Amino acid sequence: MLRYIARRIGILIPILFLVSVLVFLMLRLAKGDPAMAYLRLSNIPPTADALEEATRMLGLDLPLWEQYLRWAGRALRGDFGLSWVTGQPVLGEILYYLPATLKLTGMSLLLTLVFSIPLGVLAALRRDGWADHLTRAFAFMGVSMPSFWFAYILIFIFSVTLNLLPPMGMGGFAHIIMPATSLALMSTAINIRFLRANMLENMHARSVLYARARGLSERRVIWGHVFRNSLVPVVTSIGMHLGELIGGAVVVEMVFAWPGVGRYAVMAIFNRDFPILQCFLLVMTAIFVLCNLLVDILYAWIDPRIRLQGDRT
Amino acid sequence: MRRIILVIAAACLLLFAAVPVWAAKTELIFSWSSNAGPLNPHLYSPSQMYAQAMLYEPLVHYGDDGSAVPWLAERWEISADGKAYTFYLRPGVVFSDGTPFDAKAVKMNVDAVLANAGRHTWLDMINQIESCEIVDAMTVRLNLKNAYYPMLQELALIRPLRFLSPSAFPEDGDTSKGIIAPIGTGPWVHTDFRKGEYDVFVRNERYWGPKPALEKITVKVLPDPESRVIALETGLIDLIYGAGGHAAGQIGLEAFTRLARQGRLPTGVSGPLSTRLLAVNSGRGPTSELAVRQAIQHAVNKDLLVEAIFLGVEKRADFLFAPSMPYCDLGLAPFAFDRAKAEQLLDDAGWALDPGKSVRVKDGQELVVDFCFTGNDALQKAIAEALQGELAKVGLRLNLIGEESDSFLRRQKDGEFGMIFNDTWGAPYEPHAMVGSMRAPSHADYQAQAGLPMKNELDEMIGRVLLTTDEEQRQELYLEILTTLHEQAVYLPLTYMTSVRAHNPKLRGVEFTPMRQYIPFERMYWAK
Repeated sequence: MLRYIARRIGILIPILFLVSVLVFLMLRLAKGDPAMAYLRLSNIPPTADALEEATRMLGLDLPLWEQYLRWAGRALRGDFGLSWVTGQPVLGEILYYLPATLKLTGMSLLLTLVFSIPLGVLAALRRDGWADHLTRAFAFMGVSMPSFWFAYILIFIFSVTLNLLPPMGMGGFAHIIMPATSLALMSTAINIRFLRANMLENMHARSVLYARARGLSERRVIWGHVFRNSLVPVVTSIGMHLGELIGGAVVVEMVFAWPGVGRYAVMAIFNRDFPILQCFLLVMTAIFVLCNLLVDILYAWIDPRIRLQGDRT
Repeated sequence: MRRIILVIAAACLLLFAAVPVWAAKTELIFSWSSNAGPLNPHLYSPSQMYAQAMLYEPLVHYGDDGSAVPWLAERWEISADGKAYTFYLRPGVVFSDGTPFDAKAVKMNVDAVLANAGRHTWLDMINQIESCEIVDAMTVRLNLKNAYYPMLQELALIRPLRFLSPSAFPEDGDTSKGIIAPIGTGPWVHTDFRKGEYDVFVRNERYWGPKPALEKITVKVLPDPESRVIALETGLIDLIYGAGGHAAGQIGLEAFTRLARQGRLPTGVSGPLSTRLLAVNSGRGPTSELAVRQAIQHAVNKDLLVEAIFLGVEKRADFLFAPSMPYCDLGLAPFAFDRAKAEQLLDDAGWALDPGKSVRVKDGQELVVDFCFTGNDALQKAIAEALQGELAKVGLRLNLIGEESDSFLRRQKDGEFGMIFNDTWGAPYEPHAMVGSMRAPSHADYQAQAGLPMKNELDEMIGRVLLTTDEEQRQELYLEILTTLHEQAVYLPLTYMTSVRAHNPKLRGVEFTPMRQYIPFERMYWAK
């Protein structure tokens, strides 16, 4: 098990290296002119002198590989440079905004589980009943509705019309309800259908037939055998949902003025603030990969049928 | 199972118990797309101009009619050669920390800005200041390299020449590396902020002028204009104020006109602040012909644009600078919308429309003009498409080139365009600074004018107008410069840009000023 974990962490290094090269190249090769962006953001008319000065100041006159090496060298020491807009250290800024995003995605993940598990089970148990049809309709809607649209609908109903919930900002518990709900919608919808399918499949498993033959109560068959076995793939899918939630947070934070790292990144995209984007993408990649690693470990731990290659020596 | 559902439903109901809090009546809640920033008066982004204007004050203010209004300087004298400006400072002014505002403080600030002159090359005023001398405790003199008439207008700028308390200077006096605290003489003091969430300003109890009625202004960070509208409608903020209708705006035009139509909240639109226009390249492609440029002027139905795209929020523009700008009320005849005349001009110039064709041809060359805009700017795109339709009706094809904003700016600079968006800068830059920049090759203006036969004479006149000390001669020169540019049709003015406001019905005194970035919070108050 330990070797497996070590190996997985080892893979993280080349992944981050590749991502860093890709991110760096994508931003540089995109048509555009960072020096011009810098001047525009500073409200300085772009004279030839000013442009030259900005180019030199930002190191844009160096060859691409040298720019990368300088950046990567510093990044390895935890120095991701200064934001072109605020002049603040980028890593510090991102770490400052990260907790708000983790709070939001954590809450959304919780909501996803709290809603999708009972609804998924219900849909499976009442197959082709009204509960199944209703959850199916909900799932279709949830998957097809963009989160920002759902967010505006929520705001319209609960803030503008009913005046029940604060429409934006971070504060008490009331503030997180709508952002977390709109963010959780898609994962919940997917998870309901996923769990339902697993449950139905497991109901026909031989172990279940045997359990019934042993005369176990229906309750024990469903919860002890069908449900538990159906949860295992759900655990794996959480890893995928995490990516979805982190990605979705970018949009949802914008709508709800949630002071998280996603909104910060959107502003950086508008501003073409390269140092922030580079750092943001790397940090998010690291978080995503680490979460998936955790999920995989959890998965291996829950399900004894899974034998890990690295374990057998 | 049913029990679980019931518990969840009950929990949901409990969560809805929260109720939004309404503003107390001495506090105003505003919103901005980002935090106010470090608020160094001598530097630029990320400090926000609205906030710099709240904290720091100039020697001379830009009056509502464009004249220079005494501010921290009570009065001034200009030497006969126009090279020495003596300012008599207002007595009894202190910075918000109690430090007196005197000649020494002025000199410290001017010297700090001059020490970092490289950062301010875009502003001619800074290049023109040679030195600042202390005449006596409350009198300073600015010595200029040349007579430079817009000096007073540019002193009114929000940055970089406003005054920081000497107590807030770093030890070596070099403010370009940072300041100790944002302390000015203005009516507001920046007391608190939380990154990504809000900034708080409170009234400066030591302010020399009339005390603002409001005690506290909280500025929430709301980058998304749609969210801002919801925040106003739900009472989370009290005021929307600023540019409308584009990416950097406070509010989208659709949302604004909806608020105005509903009439539940007071709304308003300012007078012209600057001009939204297209530079037409006289040095490249078919537009190098005067007849083609004139035809374009006559072929565009601007009223239609105003109605369909700007929803009436911006007004039709006929001239490069709004006649309300200093020296710009010239009585020129606008190019009227007249499609037949446009066709006539093109016919006469030899651009023939063959039967069955949609594009005119002359000497085997098609009448195609490159139209450059920022691809993700929805407003520019809409204008581009509307103009494409308008000009197609006279047989001119616009080749739309929508690009990422920095490539677009690069085109402005390099002259790689047929027509390109090129808004004017607004007060206090109009007309002098904008006209001055027409001589710099890095501007779309220069590029658009480069093909004019009288470009050298134009540049020479611009040089003279900025240095002359004779008011009459100045007006005459402006008349000549602006008339030439108008007749040569190197600009297609579309609309005069405006600011908009929408606010809580109880908020009063929400006024517009000629300077777009200056929000006069000190004039606002709550109705009883």
